[in-house]
This record gives sequence, C-alpha cells and structure tokens, in this order.
Amino acid sequence: MIQAIFYKEWIKLHRYVLLALAVTVAMTGYCMLRIDRAMELNGAAHIWEVMVMKDAIFIDSLEYVPLIAGILAALVQFMPEMQRKCLKLTLHLPCPQKKMLFTMSGTGALLLLLCFAANFALMLGYLGSVLPRELVCNILSAAAPWYLAGLAAYLLTSWICLEPTWKMRIFNILVAALIIRVYFLGSAPKAYNGFLPWLTLYTLALSLLSWISVVRFKAGRQD
Amino acid sequence: MTPVLECINLTHYYGKRKIYENLSFKVPHGRILGLLGKNGTGKTTTINILSGYLKPRSGECRIFGENTDNISPATRRRIGLLLEGHVQYQFMNICQIEKFYSAFYPGQWRKEAFYELMNKLKVAPRQPISRMSNGQRSQVALGLILAQNPDLLILDDFSLGLDPGYRRLFSDYLRDYARAEEKTVFLTSHIIQDMERLIDDCIIMDYGRILTQQPVKTLLGSLRRYTCRVPEGYTPQLPEELCHPNVTRGVMDFCSFLSMEKVEQILAEKTVSYSGLTAEKMNLEDAFIGLTGKY
Repeated sequence: MIQAIFYKEWIKLHRYVLLALAVTVAMTGYCMLRIDRAMELNGAAHIWEVMVMKDAIFIDSLEYVPLIAGILAALVQFMPEMQRKCLKLTLHLPCPQKKMLFTMSGTGALLLLLCFAANFALMLGYLGSVLPRELVCNILSAAAPWYLAGLAAYLLTSWICLEPTWKMRIFNILVAALIIRVYFLGSAPKAYNGFLPWLTLYTLALSLLSWISVVRFKAGRQD
Repeated sequence: MTPVLECINLTHYYGKRKIYENLSFKVPHGRILGLLGKNGTGKTTTINILSGYLKPRSGECRIFGENTDNISPATRRRIGLLLEGHVQYQFMNICQIEKFYSAFYPGQWRKEAFYELMNKLKVAPRQPISRMSNGQRSQVALGLILAQNPDLLILDDFSLGLDPGYRRLFSDYLRDYARAEEKTVFLTSHIIQDMERLIDDCIIMDYGRILTQQPVKTLLGSLRRYTCRVPEGYTPQLPEELCHPNVTRGVMDFCSFLSMEKVEQILAEKTVSYSGLTAEKMNLEDAFIGLTGKY
C-alpha cells in the first residue's frame, strides 16, 4: 500500500525532481566554480583570510534556491490533488487517512531531501578538497538553515494547497511567510549553530499542519 | 435486515440557506436507488455527507452500520465512489491507474473487468487521462469501480458531460453488473430518462424536502397526468395533491397520485369549470417534472 502511494507521488514528482536536481546541482556547481576561480586569481590564503575575517561564505546565491525548490515541489505534488477535488479519491482509498497523508508528504520530503543531499555532497566534496575543515563547516552550517527553509517551504505549501478555502489559504500564506522568516534571520557562519537542532525539530513539526487542512477538507469547508 | 445505507434526520444548511431538514431514507441490500432533484436541491450535498466529505448540521448517515463521519478503511474498501464529472487522477494513464488502485484492493481487484471495458475505448494504454474525452474518462472511472468490485456503489451525477452513446453504455453496463452481482447502488443524475432504465427505487427531492420515495414501478403505476379544458384566463388555485397545475391556451394539466374520481371531486369542490378530463400514465422524466414543476 505504501509502495502504491509512493508510486502515485513519483508519477507526479519525477520530472520535477529531476529538474530540481539538475538546477540546484548546477547552481551549487556554479558557486563552487566561483570559489575555485577566486582562489586561482587571489590565492587560497587570501580567500581563507576573507572567509575568517569577513565571514564570507561565497555561496550567497544559493540562499533562496532550496526555498523555491520546496515551494515548487509542493505545488507540483498537491495541486493535482486539489484539481476537481481529486483528494476525495485519495482519502476514499482503504488506507488510514493519516498514514495516506503522511506517506504522501513523506515521499515529497524524501525526494526533496535527496535533491538537497546531492547539493551538500557536491559542496562537501569540493570544499573539503580546498578549504580547512573549520571553514567547510562554516559554509555548510550557514547553508543548513536555507535547506531547512526549503523543507519547511515544502511542508507549508502542502498545508496551503490542501486547505479547501481561499480565505484560509491567504491567512495560511501570511502565517507561512512569518514562519519562513525564522530561517533567514542571519546568513553569517555559525549564526544558527546552537539553534540548528531546534530549528530541525521546528521544521519537522510543520509536517503536522497539512492534517489540519485535510480535517477541514473532510468537514466540507467552503468559501 | 440492516440497510446498507441509511440517513436519519439529516439537516444541512450552507450559511443560512436551508438545503434540507430531517431527511431520512434507507437503501436495502441489492437495490438501485436514484436520488432525483433539480439543481441545488442537495443531491451532491447528500453524496458528500455519505462519502464523509461534509459534516451535516444535524442527523447522521450510516453505511454498513458505520457512521459516515469517520468511515473505517475496511468499510471504504466495500464502497465504490464515483465523483461528479468522473474525476480521476488526470496525471496517470490507464496502466498506471490500474496498477495504483489494484494495490489497495488485494483479493477483490478484478483486473480483467477493467481491461475488458478499456478495450472498448480507442485509446492507447499510455495515453494520459487528462487527454481523454469526457466519455472516455467516464469509462475509466466505471472500469475502476467494476474492478474494485465493491458491495455498495455511490455515483454522483454519472451522466454529467456524457453524450447519449456513453450515457447508455454507462447505464447498461452498470445495470447488468449491479443486477448480476446483487450490488447496492445509490446514484444521482440530471438525466432522468437514463435513470428509468437503471433504478429500482427513487427519491424525488424538492428544495428542502423529499417529495416522494418509492419503487419506480409503483410511482409510474400510481402517478397520472391529468389534462382538461378550462376557461381562458383561468388561474389555478388547487390543493397540493394536484401537483403543479399549468394552464396553456385553455388546457390545464397537473399530475397526481389520486384517482380520477377523487380528482373530479376536488375540482368540483373548488368549483373549477372544466371539461374533458383525461388521465394518462407517464414516464419517469414526466413524473419528475410533474412532481417538481418546470421552474
């Protein structure tokens, strides 16, 4: 049964996931190339100095990429469910409805995380070969909240998409914008270091929100 | 014997607009019941309540004895649901949708029933449902329900958007299947003439209430359309038993369950100056219009 749910979500998402993977990996690669070129021009020692003294991380152009990837993933996955109220078919299947919903969003989140993991692997692979461990950690820890924002954006957009009324959707969008703000409070290295585990838990807790939309959908809420 | 489907004192409002109050009906095992009503009388509302997608203001519905507020997966397995407009996953093709659904109905899924119907459609197995016509989509939806082999079928406006050929194909297939396998069916449709070929019992709804609930044969056997000549300019003011009297060019017609003698007695009591009163049997569509009125 879980395999069948995964199969349906894969049909919806596979093209998008491949595209998102290609785009995010290309953008990450572009950032790595920029670092590589800067090192060639100015020397590695100068770049290390800039990173330590000025808190430069050289991957600023990736800041909103995971966020956009997360929003688009949820739209691609959940808009077809809301078209002509297809969600009724999904919830009518003989499977516990919570299990159905969380398997659906779990599939989307997993595919998104695989995409993000490829980005991190590329960064880790390249940066690890040219920078000391501490500087690599600085860059990755600065990027971590952005990628968590991508996951949060996916979960929040799912919540918004599944909501049956437009009035509440607009309210949800406003709430989501405030929630997302938390992930972009500062881009300096180590800005979130002590807070990252809590931010991860906070992000995971957002997955519960889509159930509220489903409960409202089942109650027949309308504009 | 417990009815397969039962609604008890169902009341629902959208805001302040009353859809119906204290609606009660039952569908026994093996019967095909059609819910007939004009637009806005609450047919889809009833289907939504039955399928657990709308909480009524008060009252309850039960399917196989379970409250529809929270139907268990085991009971959902026994219910085939057709949504208005034959909604299905548009992003899938025939093969994918069959593969997907079959995983949820182990032991009861009849793949051959689905493909038997699909072979009648001239579509490629890999053609997405989104690129199919309404008629083809209706057959995909019907094929999935037949493959699911449920004990109860709930069909919301199955004829919506279908041309006469597909409507006939759908209703004939459904009727043969339901009768042969003793399935219980609860359905709604705008096209009453298709219902006559299909249903055993009917509920005719008007705004806010049930007008009649009985077997179609009994209804058509007892309801008559009466026609008589009346003076030009006559405005009918008749009791409710003579339904929706209408005068056109000096000819009044109305329908009623009452006998000719009783109708004559009422017309006499109301001092209607009439002549040439005749009664005739009606088909289901005429009976529906006779009971609900043209407007």
